[in-house]
Order: sequence, then C-alpha cells, then structure tokens
Amino acid sequence: MAKPSRNRIALLASTMLFGGLAAGPVLAQGAVKIGCALPLSGGSATVGNQTRAGALAAAEQINAAGGIKALNGAKLEVVFGDTQSKADIGVTETERLVTRENVVALCGAFNSAVTFPATEVAERYKTPWIVVGAVKDEITERNYKYVFRINNKATYDAREQLDALDLLAKETGKKPKTVAMLYEGSDWGRSHASNVKRFAKERGYDIVLDEAAPPNQVDFSNQLLKIRGARPDAVIVALYTPDHLLFSRQLMEQRLDVPFGIHSVGGGTEDPAFYKGLPQRAVDYVFVQEDWQIDKLQQTDDKTIRAIADRTKEILGYGMSAYAAQGASAMYVLADALERSGSADREKLRDAIARSDILSGPALITGYGRIKFDEQGQNTYAHGVISQNLNGQRRTIWPTENRAPDTKPVWPVPAWSERKGS
Amino acid sequence: MDPLILSFAVVNGVLLGGIYGGVALGLSLIFGVLRVVNFAHGSFLMLSLYIAFWCWSLLGLDPYLSVIVTVPAMFALGYFVQSVIISPLIRRERALVVEPLSALLLTAGVFLVLDNLALMAFGPNVRAVQADYYLPSPMLGSIPLNPQRLIGALAAVLVALGLSWWLRRSHMGRAIRATAQNRDAAALSGINVPFVYAVTFGIGCAVLGLFGSLIAPFMPISPSIGVAFGIKSFIVVVLGGLGSIPGCIVGGMVIGVFEAVASQHITATSAAIGSLGLFILILLVRPQGIMGRA
Repeated sequence: MAKPSRNRIALLASTMLFGGLAAGPVLAQGAVKIGCALPLSGGSATVGNQTRAGALAAAEQINAAGGIKALNGAKLEVVFGDTQSKADIGVTETERLVTRENVVALCGAFNSAVTFPATEVAERYKTPWIVVGAVKDEITERNYKYVFRINNKATYDAREQLDALDLLAKETGKKPKTVAMLYEGSDWGRSHASNVKRFAKERGYDIVLDEAAPPNQVDFSNQLLKIRGARPDAVIVALYTPDHLLFSRQLMEQRLDVPFGIHSVGGGTEDPAFYKGLPQRAVDYVFVQEDWQIDKLQQTDDKTIRAIADRTKEILGYGMSAYAAQGASAMYVLADALERSGSADREKLRDAIARSDILSGPALITGYGRIKFDEQGQNTYAHGVISQNLNGQRRTIWPTENRAPDTKPVWPVPAWSERKGS
Repeated sequence: MDPLILSFAVVNGVLLGGIYGGVALGLSLIFGVLRVVNFAHGSFLMLSLYIAFWCWSLLGLDPYLSVIVTVPAMFALGYFVQSVIISPLIRRERALVVEPLSALLLTAGVFLVLDNLALMAFGPNVRAVQADYYLPSPMLGSIPLNPQRLIGALAAVLVALGLSWWLRRSHMGRAIRATAQNRDAAALSGINVPFVYAVTFGIGCAVLGLFGSLIAPFMPISPSIGVAFGIKSFIVVVLGGLGSIPGCIVGGMVIGVFEAVASQHITATSAAIGSLGLFILILLVRPQGIMGRA
C-alpha cells in the first residue's frame, strides 16, 4: 500500500491538535481553570492579596480532598489577574483571562468601579462571574445571566449601618439626630452615600454633610475642618485603606469629638494592615460594618474553617479577614456548582451556579446562613454585622443574634479628653 | 463664612502648601538647571519615605533623625541616576537641542521601574510610622497647629532660603547657575558640566530625602504615594516659576490655601479642579509663573 503523503499526515496531525484544543477549558491533565481578577497592586492591594490568599487556601483544600469528584478528581487551578485597582486594567485582564487563559469561571474584583465594567465583559463572553467584595447595587441589577454575587449589596450595607444606629438608640434611649458622610468619590462611596441618604430620610436622621473625597489624598485637614463646622452627632465613612488610615490618624491628632462615633462601612477598617498602622487610641469605639462575622473564629469549632484561617495566616503573615473569607467562599461555591454540573462547560456551570442552595459547609465561612441567588444573581441571604472596637477587639453588636453575651456596646462614645492615654 | 473656620482653613493651607513647596524644590532645581522634566520625582520621594520608615522600624531611629541616612542616600541615588542613566542621553543630544525632551521619556521609565520595584520589594501593604512620643500642638490664637506639619512647612521655607543663598554665594552654586543659563558657554568657561549636572540632580534628590524624613511621621507609606505628590509638584513648580527656588514655596502656598478655602464651600475634588483652573489662569496672565524670570 502506498505510504500516506506528507500532506495527509500534516492534515491528520493538525486535526488532532485542533480537536485537542477545542476540548475547551478542561486541560489534558484534568485541571479546571478559574480566573480571579483582583487588585494585587495599587490602592486596594492589601485587600486583593487577602482575597487571593483565601482563594488559594480554599482551592488547595478542595484539591487535597480529591478535587472535583464529578469531573474525575479534576483539580482547581486558580489563575490571577492584577487589576491594579483600576477599571480599565480590570477590563483588559478579564479579557485576557477569558480569551487567553480560557478559564471556566471568573471571580473578583473587590473594587466596585472595576467589577462593574469587568462583569459586563464576562457577560458578553458568556463566562460566569462570582462577585467578590464589590457592593455597588447595579452590579446585580442589570438582568445579567452570568454574574452572581455572594456578598452584600450596597443597599444592605447602608441599611445595616442604620439598623445598628436604631438598635443602639432603642436599647439606650439615646438617638443621634445629625449624620455627616465622608466617602471616596468613585462607585463604592457614591453608591453607599446615596443609599444612606435614602434610609436616613425614612428613619428621621438629618444628613448635615455630604462630602465626596478624591482618592489617594495626602491630607484630610480640609474635610476634617468641614466636619468640625457641621457638628454632626455621627459620621459615616467609606474610604479605602490608605485614605482611611490618614483620616483616622488626623481625626485623633485633631481630637475631633463626634458624640455617637465614627461608623465605617468597611474598606480600610476591614483590612488588618490598617490596624498595624495606627495606635489603638485612634480606633477605639469605632463602628465597622463587617462583611463577615468578625468574631466568628471565636464562636466556631469547624475544622475546615480553622484550616483555611491557618493557611491564610501562613500565606499573608497575618490572620483572616472578610476578604480572605470571601475568596475562600467563592471557591467553595464554584466547587459546589462544578460538582452539580458535572461539566466544565461554561453554560452548564452557569446554570448550576444559578441553582445553588448552600445551607452548610465551608462556603458559609463568611457567617451567612444560606447562599441562594435570585434572578438577578444576588444572594439575598447575605448580611454583614456591625462591630464596635472594644478593648482592642472588634466585637459584633448587631444583629443581636450574632452578639456574644459578654459584649457591651459603648454608646454614646466618650470624648477624647475622657479617654485613657489622652 | 465663619471667620474662625476661614482662618483655620488658611492656616491648614499654608502648612500643607509649604510642604508641597518643599517637596517641589528638588524638581524646580533639576528642571531649572538641566531642563529635564523629572517624572520620577514622586518615586524618589516614595523611596525616601521608605528609607525613613525602615530606619524607624528596623533601627529604631526617629524619622527626624533618619535625615542623616536619607539625605546622603538620596544624594547618591540622584547622582547615580543622572550620571549613569540620563547623561549619555544629554551628551548625545547636545549637538541638536538645548532641552533634551527625550530625557522626559527616560525619567518616565525610571518612574515606572522604581514604583514597580518598590511594589515587588516592599509589597502593597500601607505602612505608617508611629511616634511613641507626643508633640504638643502650638496654638495660633484658638487654632491648633499640627506640630509635624508645622515643622515640615518651616523646613521648606528655611531650605528654600538656604538653597537660594547657597546658589548665589558659593562657587558650586555659581557654577550651577551658569550652567543653567547657557550650557555651552559654561563649558567654555571651564565648568565641568556633566559634574555640575550630576551634583544638581543629587542635591534635588537630597532635598527630597530631607522632606521624605519630615513627612514620614504623618504620611501613610505605600508604593503609590509618590504619584500624588509628583503631580502636585509639577503644578507648584510651574506656578511658582521655573528656576525660581522661593517661587516654589510661594506657588505651593497659593495652591494649598486656595484648595483649603475652596473645599470649605465645595467638595475637595472640585476644589482641586478649581486650583488647576487657577493655575491655568495665572499662566495665561503671567506665563513665567509667579516668581519666574521671563
């Protein structure tokens, strides 16, 4: 029989090659690629790295326990893209992860200003995206099919802050009347501010200052002076780590008294690196809206959760935070969906995620009772907690179901002249 | 508006503006003499902040004392950058232009390299020096003056005066001014131009080293801190007048006071827009800047 011509061999070889490539995101070794677009540099870098550590810890745990059993033990491979805390870079990184790395699903990106456009790219490429950290309401209000959010929306954050104010007012009979708002000027801050205004009007609080701050400031004296002039009973703050650090420190140096305290909706105040840069005095009695139950580790015995906490500590050098917990939770949600879809096809995975209903397990490391997405992709069972910094620790004070019995909130907060060490 | 709030705002503006001016001094000197737009200005400030931080956290040295480390270290770095990285470019372009515009791209490259090396080496975490002693705030009437910012602003004024005096009186200073006026004539007069350039760059960075140590006590430090200061420094230098050292301080204070007063009425973002608008206005009326020579 005549030897097959070289052309025929080449044709056969290239068909096999294309056939192999067309197998899609599941590689020959059996790994499932998940792309994470996170701020690994820039203003939100500390948070991005925490989320990364949590995601890695969870993925390692899942792989060590046998990988995705429905896919013959396929291992999770997490590929990271650095958004640099910038929207345009986030978009290009998303495109790179989808088209070059061929990921099965995406997660990220903490900054609302980055997540909002980047998820639009994912929707266009029909790639499921699990939102991590970003709270801007509109992210899950666009009738998108591929975007799912496990954590709070900005509306929930604002509502919880005011719920806490109402709760403390009810418990003690002392209610603040005027509120000042200082927030970072991009999507997150503005989203939060407009929600606070809405709830404040319904509940009878007067907004006496509505101040948007540009990012990466080198001095807050001007805004602090404005706050001083407005004499608010309480101040609601939404700032990222470097700005929040500077603001808190200058507030302490200027000894500005705010009778019903500073209420931070997170950002800097949920970042462990923030607390290393300030003396305890600067953060005493500050209220923080936490994206996870901050004293959960003191209230749980779950071994998987503790293992994630230990591994995160190994990677970062410091302990768990909300962001590490969110990263880990996202991985467990994806693993759960992959088990149910039995396929690494993006459409089937998307359908499996949409049908998620998690009532127990490490995916609930953030302290929620349940994870179930509505038609817009929002987990309606998400909630945070409000903590107060008491005796050097942040303790949950709202909701009362999550408050430990020995926690006693301090309300109103003492003036600077009455605090020890001043 | 409330006169107390207004005077508090003006005082804040003067202090912060003085600091902006001090940080911009190095840029003014480098641009005035070498005609090189140093895009890496903010990065050098970031480096000196980190040096001051490491002196505090590893050696226990108070940031104000770390001046003895940051000033020589930054001088050496500036000298090195000029003589090794920028000077071959200037020498090559000497025959063609007086102002090497391509040096601008080169310094932009230095900025990218430095910022990202710092990110790789130091990590993204924000760090802060925490003084364990307490400086009392002097009072101006009923307005408390933040002591660390006051020290920074006073230092800016003193360094500007000292630098102007030195440029006028000393031999090296005269050589620098001569080179700034006309590079080739200076070379013909026997001045070692490459050496003068290197020393000028070194002095510019040494001043940055000084101010890095002075602002370290109150500024959170991260690899991206240089960008904000770098941009402000450009505005201050051009507003104050290119080549004018005292103009730097004046320009800084104009920006500082304007932003401070404006942001009591509008948000800080709009105030920043306003200060840039003021900048354009002043340049339209007086293109050489407030104190620049035409």
